[in-house]
Amino acid sequence: MAGIEVSGVARAFGDVHAVRNATFTVEPGHVAGLIGPNGAGKTTLLLMLASLLRPDAGTIRVAGFDPVTDPAEVRARMGWMPDLLGSWASLTVREALVTSARLYGRSTDAARARADDLIGLVDLDELADRPTRVLSRGQKQRLSLARALVHDPEVLLLDEPASGLDPVARAGLRALVRRLASEGRTVLVSSHVLAELEEMADQAVYLSGGVTAAADEIERAARTARDWRVRSLDPERLRTALDAAGWGEVARIDNLGAIVPLASEEDAAQLIAHLIGSGVPISSFAPAVGDLEHVFLDLSRNGEEDA
Amino acid sequence: MTGFLQGLWLVVTLDLRQRVRTVAWYVLLGVFVVLVAGVTVLLVLATNAFLDGGGGVFSSIVFFVLLLGTLVSPALSANAINGERDAGTLATTQVTLVTTTQIVLGKWLAAWITALAFLAAALPFLVFAVTLGEVPASTILVSTLVTALELGVVAAIGVGLSGLLNRPLFSVAVTYLVVAALSIGTLIAFGLGGASAQSEVRTTNHYVDWMAVERDGVPPGEEPPCLPAQTWTYDVPRFDYVWGFLAANPYVVVADAAPASFDSRGTPTDLFTWIAVGVRQAQHAPELEVEYDECANWTPSGEVLQDDSDTPEEVYERSVPSWFVGLAIHLLLAAGALVWAVRRTSTPAHRLPRGSRIA
Repeated sequence: MAGIEVSGVARAFGDVHAVRNATFTVEPGHVAGLIGPNGAGKTTLLLMLASLLRPDAGTIRVAGFDPVTDPAEVRARMGWMPDLLGSWASLTVREALVTSARLYGRSTDAARARADDLIGLVDLDELADRPTRVLSRGQKQRLSLARALVHDPEVLLLDEPASGLDPVARAGLRALVRRLASEGRTVLVSSHVLAELEEMADQAVYLSGGVTAAADEIERAARTARDWRVRSLDPERLRTALDAAGWGEVARIDNLGAIVPLASEEDAAQLIAHLIGSGVPISSFAPAVGDLEHVFLDLSRNGEEDA
Repeated sequence: MTGFLQGLWLVVTLDLRQRVRTVAWYVLLGVFVVLVAGVTVLLVLATNAFLDGGGGVFSSIVFFVLLLGTLVSPALSANAINGERDAGTLATTQVTLVTTTQIVLGKWLAAWITALAFLAAALPFLVFAVTLGEVPASTILVSTLVTALELGVVAAIGVGLSGLLNRPLFSVAVTYLVVAALSIGTLIAFGLGGASAQSEVRTTNHYVDWMAVERDGVPPGEEPPCLPAQTWTYDVPRFDYVWGFLAANPYVVVADAAPASFDSRGTPTDLFTWIAVGVRQAQHAPELEVEYDECANWTPSGEVLQDDSDTPEEVYERSVPSWFVGLAIHLLLAAGALVWAVRRTSTPAHRLPRGSRIA
């Protein structure tokens, strides 16, 4: 049974079609990145998965249940971290977590124990007995994550979890999300910071204009020419060698080295062999943008051409 | 959820816990106590209560508590749901296992309990009025209970509107308007309605010719010297058509529900009874053909018997109580507001108010 199954889902607000046609599946044990530009319908889609919004069309299964007909079953198995930060301002961090656990039907003792665990997990120990209104944005974000985990859900929906987090907390979040997935949970993470997702997600759902990209589109986009960054200890020789190999026209030289658009991994292998063969001291040879970003940019470009 | 009531109580305690941690609430309560204390002192001075008993003071304090309670309650209740939505905590509660019904009812109970705290704060003053004497236990019980119910009604309307309207400011204002419509609007409708539906009264008077009696002495026999009948007409307002408006007034409900208390001459001894008598008087249609016949009441000795007019107590006794009609209207209004709010707030949401996000 898939953790999340979305098929042909659409939702409009009046004449604004936030989500037009979303179809994807995330299996347990996987982290899927939900990727799309601002206003692509990411939050609307997550609200439908979180059993808060009714889709106009299509079907959704979260942990095997339909959020429209069986919201209680879905809610018992799904943790949702909203993009909008809200917390009960006058309650302490600990009280907020205990209350959330109680709202999921846990006994007071179980709720206390769970709150203690989570406070340690998201590293809020020092603030545990301060009211939540004193928390910074990043700290609230961590509280929000802890709340999403409070009932040990099988499916996690994280809406922009990394925004506002410092680098240490980001690294912690990445490790946590990977670990939760390795425990067999299904995780869907939305973000527009693609570098962030690159390290977390093992699967991507591209959403643009309310439509998810089909698998063949993604494959095609992944195969299009992409930029490779080449750095050398000797920029002059690098330039000469690129010119000699016929790349001088398309390569862009800057103070870090050169950016060369290459159609495929084979081309990349040939180029690096040529450069090393020419005696250029190469210190770095890597794609200039991540896989997700590459596909995303390419899909967005195609989307604009279609439109 | 393990149980409906358990979940409900969780929402109530969550809400109350947040309320008791705000300073504004204590300030409000303090101001309220000071006001009630001031009013009590003035009432005691004004009504000579140490001699006549505490009935007047007691009923006035209850009204004052109702007044302040209905003034404070909208501010405490009418941002319950849309305020949480603004703060971003409504959706995170809705994805848990408590249902929307539990959330809305819990918020209503919390708002009601908060309003009841004001009634509780006024308790020392009510007890003081009771110690002045002459307040029947039934009056204490009924008027306090009905006042508590009325505060619950205002809380329900506030919470209901906060689920229906998007902006807290707007729902608070509309709740105030509803309270004003019930408290003052009903009086205006009653007054204007009664005055606009006028009826003509024809009065026919048969007077004894007192000049003749003075000139000729009391005539022998049964027949007095009579003047020709005099007739004139004038208009009266028909409050009996519109007294129903008054029944929907919360003050009238409290007053009419409390058991009446009269002194030996049939005169009301507290504010509640005066109002109840006034409201019940309005039920009776005015006599449109009035005949006053002095000659018929003539006695051979030359005396004229006086017609008995009803004492307030007699008027009260021969009228129907209206408070349960008013209370029923209020309870229906409250239940309707809550049910509507539950339907509008329930998830997965069908439609959203324009420009709102549900998170």
